[in-house]
Amino acid sequence: MTSRVALEAIGVSKRYGSRNVLNEIDLTAERGSVHGLLGPNGAGKTTLLRILLGLVHRDAGSIRLLGRPLESRGGSIAGDVAGIVDAPAFYPYLTGRQNLAALAALDRDGRSSRRCSVDEALEQVGLAEHANDRVAGYSAGMRQRLAVAAVVIRAPRLLLLDEPTSALDPRGMRDIRALARRLADDDTAVVLSSHDMSEVEELCATVTVINGGRVVFSGAVNELRQRAPAAVYLVRTSDDETACLVASTHRGVKVTAVERGLEVSADVAALDAYVIALGCAGIAVRALDRRVRSLESLFLELTRPAADAGTAAAIHDAHHNEASPVLS
Amino acid sequence: MSITGVRAVVGVECMKLAAQIKTQLVLGLCIVGPFLFAAAIHMQSSLPTDTLFGRAVKESGFAVSLVVLGFAALWVVPVLASVVGGDLFASEDRHNTWKMLLTRSRSRADVFVGKLIVALGFSFVAIALLAVSSIAAGIFIIGPGSLIDLSGIVRPPDEAWRRVTLAWMSILPAAFTFTALAVVLSVVSRSSIVGIGLPVVAGLTMQLVAMVDGPDLIRRLLITSGFEAWHGLLAAPLFYQPLLRGTIVCAAYFVICIAIAYDRLRRRDVAG
Repeated sequence: MTSRVALEAIGVSKRYGSRNVLNEIDLTAERGSVHGLLGPNGAGKTTLLRILLGLVHRDAGSIRLLGRPLESRGGSIAGDVAGIVDAPAFYPYLTGRQNLAALAALDRDGRSSRRCSVDEALEQVGLAEHANDRVAGYSAGMRQRLAVAAVVIRAPRLLLLDEPTSALDPRGMRDIRALARRLADDDTAVVLSSHDMSEVEELCATVTVINGGRVVFSGAVNELRQRAPAAVYLVRTSDDETACLVASTHRGVKVTAVERGLEVSADVAALDAYVIALGCAGIAVRALDRRVRSLESLFLELTRPAADAGTAAAIHDAHHNEASPVLS
Repeated sequence: MSITGVRAVVGVECMKLAAQIKTQLVLGLCIVGPFLFAAAIHMQSSLPTDTLFGRAVKESGFAVSLVVLGFAALWVVPVLASVVGGDLFASEDRHNTWKMLLTRSRSRADVFVGKLIVALGFSFVAIALLAVSSIAAGIFIIGPGSLIDLSGIVRPPDEAWRRVTLAWMSILPAAFTFTALAVVLSVVSRSSIVGIGLPVVAGLTMQLVAMVDGPDLIRRLLITSGFEAWHGLLAAPLFYQPLLRGTIVCAAYFVICIAIAYDRLRRRDVAG
């Protein structure tokens, strides 16, 4: 039986001088799913992806891509592994079509049944009209699309994407997400690094969170969701002072008075009960907005600097400077 | 490293070169330049008497080619040899395209060897065009007269063109070494300016060192000594020792430059 594991990195470490950029990172991605790679800026996500694509040499650890070991120095990555890392760059004096033709020529042959032509790839990413324009005249978004086309012509079994939607307009973002999902449905393993929690929640079944060059969480998104602290809402009422008193009688509801109302930390059931209780107490709820999503708050907790230890409330305070002491 | 991989890289690099105006311009100048020179010689009354075969440029078209060769060896050949080799690697840094190139399932060895072949190939083509163009310009504008060699012996046209062709071929080892120098400087500095400019400066410096009355050993260890070895092919009796010595010196420089360049590229982390 063929292994479902498309990417297996064990104990990958990388140092730049005296700085430990990656410290014994383990990462596994399975075929037919999108695996999220999360972490704050400087966490080591991009370095890890560069190592997986053979651009940067690892100091320690082993990597297997689609069952084949990746040499630590000078080797080539397999023809069915593709990736976009950093801002896409192409030869500016060549046209979009010429750039893709050059890249296709550099790919190994042998999987012609899966691969699509340069023109098909340009059509798929919406660049057919600009195929004969020099890349020098392309916008950042068009270059990103061209990078996606360069991936599409490779028909990868393992795709590594480093913040692929960062330079795109909403339509471009939607297209990239659809592509990732389509490839995953086609049994491709997709590893996607992102800062966008909603993107990760929408696309990924599993996730690895990196902070300071170490893995701080690895598992299913559902598992992450279960571990997530309660979401934070901004509530405006007709009587904030009494609303704080009402909160003190409700378990699982934490209220903090802020400049523009009350910040309420609670899960959905507790929030519902609290809002009903406010109504019963004659307090009108004038507005209720979610400020921090539950996964986002866990992400912030997992990726806060080591020196910044404390409770979830402390993290919450760190992101909302106007917060006053917890009332209940 | 695989032959198919190297072939793929060569194909892509050739396509990239063909699309660049710089390449077309340089090759165009290699063709047109000798014709302009021969035409200028033909029209003016004075002769370039301070150069080898300068006195004979109005008598034999082959002398025109040898004057072009002598002049080109000073600085044109280092430029031709480094204009592509000094840019082929550094341009990937300039355009930030290493990450795209190295994630296409060709090994770094494939990429290095492919680019090196293209750099050497371009140097060969440029010098070959210059040689053919200078011989053709001499024959068409001045005429295919007999050539008086450095020993004063008259060489008929059928022998003269063979010797002139060999003279042009004799500078190839030195030219390829300048290409290797350009490659290593390009890989190490990641700058096209350094990759192209420094070999030219090095070539001029070596010519100056060769002119001053220094130790003979130093002169023999210069890459540019290979640019003068053709004198032995136009004398009687023929002497090949400078050619052999120059080729060995160039080969040593070539191997060292290429080894350093490959090692640097293989070890390099492509980040940012």
